[in-house]
Amino acid sequence: MDAAARLILLTAVAAAVATPPSISAQRSAWSQSPPANTQAATTARIVTAAKAVLASLDDAGRAKVQFPFDSPQKAKWSNFPVGIFARDGIKLGDLTAPQKDAVFNLLTVALSRDGYQKVRDIMRGDEVLKTTDGGRGGRGGPPGGQRGGGRGGPGGGLMFGEDLYYLAFLGAPSTTDPWMLQFGGHHLAINLTMAGSQATMAPSLPAAQPATFTVEGRTVRPLGRENDKAFALINALDEKQRGQAILSYRVSDLVLGPGQDGRTIQPEGLRGSAMTPAQQGMLLDIVREWAGIMADAYAEPRMQEIRAAVGDTYFAWSGPTTNGSAAYFRVQGPTLVIEYAPQGNVDHIHTIYRDPTNDYGAKIAKR
Amino acid sequence: MLIVLALVAFTSAPLSAHRRDEYLQAARLDMTLTRVTLELDLTPGIAVADSIIGDLDRNRDGALSKSEQDAYAAQVMSAIDLELGGRVLQPQVSAVTFPNLDAFRHGNGTIRVEAAADLPPLPAGDRELFFRNRFRPDVGAYLANALAPQSDRVSVLAQHRDPDQRELTIDYVVRGEPPPRLPWWVSGVVAGLALTTAFLLRPRVALD
Repeated sequence: MDAAARLILLTAVAAAVATPPSISAQRSAWSQSPPANTQAATTARIVTAAKAVLASLDDAGRAKVQFPFDSPQKAKWSNFPVGIFARDGIKLGDLTAPQKDAVFNLLTVALSRDGYQKVRDIMRGDEVLKTTDGGRGGRGGPPGGQRGGGRGGPGGGLMFGEDLYYLAFLGAPSTTDPWMLQFGGHHLAINLTMAGSQATMAPSLPAAQPATFTVEGRTVRPLGRENDKAFALINALDEKQRGQAILSYRVSDLVLGPGQDGRTIQPEGLRGSAMTPAQQGMLLDIVREWAGIMADAYAEPRMQEIRAAVGDTYFAWSGPTTNGSAAYFRVQGPTLVIEYAPQGNVDHIHTIYRDPTNDYGAKIAKR
Repeated sequence: MLIVLALVAFTSAPLSAHRRDEYLQAARLDMTLTRVTLELDLTPGIAVADSIIGDLDRNRDGALSKSEQDAYAAQVMSAIDLELGGRVLQPQVSAVTFPNLDAFRHGNGTIRVEAAADLPPLPAGDRELFFRNRFRPDVGAYLANALAPQSDRVSVLAQHRDPDQRELTIDYVVRGEPPPRLPWWVSGVVAGLALTTAFLLRPRVALD
């Protein structure tokens, strides 16, 4: 090979090396995505179920459930009980049995099996709270003790229970245009935004009080797996890793809870790149408890996105490391924030799930 | 100073947990090249609401006037310390938002105070921002966090807090203007030429 040929060859090699690495990473990410038609088919099923809800309602009900896509209703969700924070939409307690069936059928289609179970368990917990002494919840507060709430006396009466959950649609259910399914009440806010074959469930708030209860002989822990998996991870870290993961200060509440849309805090804790592959797997398994609430077809590409950035995802912990204790933890990555915040004890938990790049479908719902 | 006062219906107020006996004070600090901005959310639990309302509604008429809101915001800010590299900053209140008094009685009223301090021209380099909240320590529960900087010339290096998050020190760095970037293919050509030169000038071993 003469000198000129060597020059051309080496220049080409050098240029290839200088190509931005992100392109190959993007190609890899796209090639791993599941077929879009799976997601599109899921959207179509959800739209059909949502239209069935609309068809079951009278004109007044349809007027109550429907909001413009870009309305302030989008951010109108909370951990508070309905008596303190008023929701809009149709209330389960106002629906007939067939109408309720249509709503629950919609939820079974829109959520994964585990996600639907979690939602129902959170609602059942609120029913338990309605009929028992809410004072077990510590700082979260006994409903009967809230002056000004004034509803129902000891135990909370009308402020709690499975009837006090609301459904709203923002935008018309569509397989092509963006719209949002909003379902929630006390300790629950599911905000599922869909745009064609894409969907996001950020921001959402699954919470629980009581965090452990018994229904028909079955022990129910709506957020039990989240708790147990996080304790397993913190105890799987070595001393040096724990030194980075465990924060030296008390975190008494959610940092990015309701009302904190659009904010991104500086991440802290142990970075995923400092974890072993097994520990990274445990971290992703924790994340799936939130990302996997929505239907599997939506959850899988979301998990792929989070998995691709696991090295840049942080795990932070505040509190004791013995399971059964009240401890706060946070998982934060480029497109993810999860917080788990016990409200003073283990029987009252608030959590939040966000995607700072895609809350309310900011990324997928651009028109 | 522009003060924006708004009376917000409690149903649309920013919300946090429904704690009863604490006064949650959540601070967020945003650092830019030229400014430090403080956002402070104050949410009294219902068990301490009467005490807070007593401080707010000074004439006991059941409503919050602009002067009462201004006075309370000033009271809050007088208990905030902010220093950059040991130099005291004087953040000016830029906006305050109050819910109505009923929201406090329900445990979901949040006061939001926003204040900002302009920074003098400083050379690029490491900086240390110190924040301390001394407001209502008798009932206070505190959160303090740095927001992720929007500018790629500002990076947070570390955050140090006391156990109760009343104090937060943020180590951050401000970088100078980056030099204009060459297109990637120019870098490639330069690298290629360098490799070619090294290849052509390599020591040769005679095989015969």
